[in-house]
Amino acid sequence: MPEKINDKTIFSLLEVTNSIKKTLEKRYKSAFWIKAEMNKLNHYTQSGHCFPELVEKRDGKIIAQIKSTIWRDDYQNINRNFLRILKEPLKDGIKILFLAKISFDSAFGLSLQIIDIDPQYTLGDLENEKRETIQKLKLEGIYDQNKKLQLAFLPQRIAIISVETSKGFGDFKDVIDKNSWNYKFFYLLFPSILQGDKAVPGIMAQLERIKKVIHHFDAVAIIRGGGGDVGLSCYNNYELAKAIALFPIPVITGIGHVTNETVCEMIAHNNAITPTKLAEFLIQKFHNFSVPIQKAKDKIVDKSKRLLSEENTKLESELKLFRSITVSILNTNENHIKNASYAIQQQSQFIVKNNHEKLNVLQAKTRITTKFNLNQLEAAVIQLQNKLEIQPILYLKNSELALENIEKNIQIMDPINVLKRGFSITYLNGKAVKDVAQLEVGVAINTVLFNGTIDSTIAKIKE
Amino acid sequence: MEEKLNYTNAFEELQEIVTEIEQGEISVDELSAKVKRATTLIKFCKLKLTTTEEDVNSILKELEN
Repeated sequence: MPEKINDKTIFSLLEVTNSIKKTLEKRYKSAFWIKAEMNKLNHYTQSGHCFPELVEKRDGKIIAQIKSTIWRDDYQNINRNFLRILKEPLKDGIKILFLAKISFDSAFGLSLQIIDIDPQYTLGDLENEKRETIQKLKLEGIYDQNKKLQLAFLPQRIAIISVETSKGFGDFKDVIDKNSWNYKFFYLLFPSILQGDKAVPGIMAQLERIKKVIHHFDAVAIIRGGGGDVGLSCYNNYELAKAIALFPIPVITGIGHVTNETVCEMIAHNNAITPTKLAEFLIQKFHNFSVPIQKAKDKIVDKSKRLLSEENTKLESELKLFRSITVSILNTNENHIKNASYAIQQQSQFIVKNNHEKLNVLQAKTRITTKFNLNQLEAAVIQLQNKLEIQPILYLKNSELALENIEKNIQIMDPINVLKRGFSITYLNGKAVKDVAQLEVGVAINTVLFNGTIDSTIAKIKE
Repeated sequence: MEEKLNYTNAFEELQEIVTEIEQGEISVDELSAKVKRATTLIKFCKLKLTTTEEDVNSILKELEN
């Protein structure tokens, strides 16, 4: 009860707070739905209670603010719902629609006692954040930036953002290190928390570190897994997504199965989804390089063999052709020679025969001619003989006549007759002397007379 | 022509040789040399697949600076 001192009614503090409490309880009998931004959750693990800071902002300025409480049991219910629907726990910095009672405690003052939070409202808010991030990136023209980068032909050197002890990193190493093709990768871990609010600055800091040694790497792999599918809305964060989009080498993600693909996965060069698949993706790249090499090797061997065998066949067929041509040429020439020799034989026989015949003809002709000539000669001879036979007779007759004439003449000329007429002939050594120069003194001469001879010796010669 | 081999140009050169051989553009005279070159390229490519020259320590040193 209030005291009365000097006309003044004085209340104790408790009386005032109790009055306020009474008034408020009278005015706000039931719980109602309120939307607000939860700046801080302020979860106390020991007690299990939460004391969230609730604000309403306009143009970035806080225009309303109030303390609140979530008792342990309510918190557990709410958080379960959140994880089921949002895949996110209740956390700082989200917009919430909550059912609350106004509570006033004399010792602790005014606060809202949160009984329930509608996860669908926050889901919508997270979706909005994701949509806004995508929109902003597209507006800035960097949404496809990382995708447009050319992944190295052989992505062999990988900078990994992960947690050393995580199952995801273990899965990745298993596939990469134990690949049966002996492919050798080089990877280096850049450790970072990969879920929840701390993931954003953590990953971004490691991306900055990787940039310093970027020439050692072909790609960045963000590998997560085994941590459950909660706390992944950080991958819708604009700043993180932008850092990945603008990263100078391809970023590949393998952050595990998420109900909805996050922005970071969307804008990454490749989203392999799981760490195992990410490792397989890299190995596939090696296959893409290795298989054609093996094929090339096989093809070269095969084609070379075929080429050689073809050339061999060609050569053999040429050889065969050559052989057959030469044989045929030899045969042809042999035939020519045979024919020629036959022709020569025939021809020579013919010529010989021909000449023989000609000879025979000539012989015959000669014989005939000779015979004819002989006959002619014979005839001539006979003629001559006849002539000879007749001629001498004629000649004799003529001679006889001539002789008779001569005889008559001779008789007329006969020296006897002359001698008878008194002439004589002087002989020297049997020869008639016609010139006294033939004679010498002392030589014996004979003088024939008609009826005798006188032998004398020349006594004197007168000329 | 002996520019420094990397796996991209080694791979491309190898594919060129395969194409040439496949299309029968290579004579027996060239074959031996081409096959020899292809063998070198294949060896190089396979070596690339199974080795890496990166050194963790040098990267860590660069990170510290």
